[in-house]
Amino acid sequence: MAKAQRVRGLDPDRRLRFNARRIIAARLDEVYAYDGVVADPANVRELHDMRIACKRLRYTLEIFAIAFEADLEPAVDEVKALQDVLGDIHDCDVQVPMLQEHLAWLEAREGAAARELVTAAAAADAGSLDEDAYARFAGSLAASNRDAERPGVHALIARRGRERDELYAHFLSEWGRLKRERFRARLEEALGGH
Amino acid sequence: MARAWPVPGLRPRARFRDAAGRVIATRWRETMSYRDGTLAGKDIEYLHAMRVSSRRLRAAMDAFEAAFPRQEFRAYLRQVKEITDTLGDARDLDVAMERLAALLPEMADDERPGLEGMIARYRALRALEDPHIAALFERLDAEEFGPRLESFLAEHTGVVTAELNPQPA
Repeated sequence: MAKAQRVRGLDPDRRLRFNARRIIAARLDEVYAYDGVVADPANVRELHDMRIACKRLRYTLEIFAIAFEADLEPAVDEVKALQDVLGDIHDCDVQVPMLQEHLAWLEAREGAAARELVTAAAAADAGSLDEDAYARFAGSLAASNRDAERPGVHALIARRGRERDELYAHFLSEWGRLKRERFRARLEEALGGH
Repeated sequence: MARAWPVPGLRPRARFRDAAGRVIATRWRETMSYRDGTLAGKDIEYLHAMRVSSRRLRAAMDAFEAAFPRQEFRAYLRQVKEITDTLGDARDLDVAMERLAALLPEMADDERPGLEGMIARYRALRALEDPHIAALFERLDAEEFGPRLESFLAEHTGVVTAELNPQPA
């Protein structure tokens, strides 16, 4: 995860606004540093890092809003919307590997159950098993099968993949809009930095 | 339940140092106000509210770091991060179970057992989280983390948390 940059030139004995302008400017820089990198949907880590940068900017705006005459709430809402869509993309990026891990877990559970049954049968001298005992063994083996659970997991993997594509298209559209609407310049004007 | 508490005495023309003490002390008390409900474990919304508040606390500490000696402050920040992360592990499972349960009606008959199996697995994992949370708070108490944090805030910002006495809106 990208660490927040240390902000230089702060003076805790000066007013809140003096310091808040510098901190917000640094956090704004961090968000815009991902412009271009996030144009590739495969840059999973960078998209996640941009979400963290948005979160830091949003919280910073919320915390320091009291120091400014301008209403920063619209800017907070814009950043939050971007953070949310990036968060939803991240959820998909995290969930697909989790679902794949769950499939592997199901297989491991089946393997462990089968080994347990075979070991128990061997201990009971499997060579002398009669038809009833074999039927019980086969029934227990079938009961440990987790095949019924697989279609739902595969369906979820496919669903998350589709959602990810849609969310990414929405993110690109929103990020493009913020840039066209001069979000950064408008926020800097509201902070009175120029 | 999870609304941010108002910060007593915070003024637009405040000094950065004074604002640091007021905001962090308020967010600390706000976070800990959900502690008993979280430990009781009967309503998952307490844990959710505590996690949200602890994230606000952490964000406030990040924002006001310049008001404190760096090394000592970082130790407090790490501890707060541990609170957020520990609560987050449990919360993530609560959310995962809620989302899977909400999806069940939309899924085909042959797809539901997979989701139900995952919910059962997450429920078992979630039961393991409560002892971690209880152990964390026991350690924080044993190390007197809260009183130490409040003394640290008073020393470097002049804000005495008990006098500030933050309360919900």
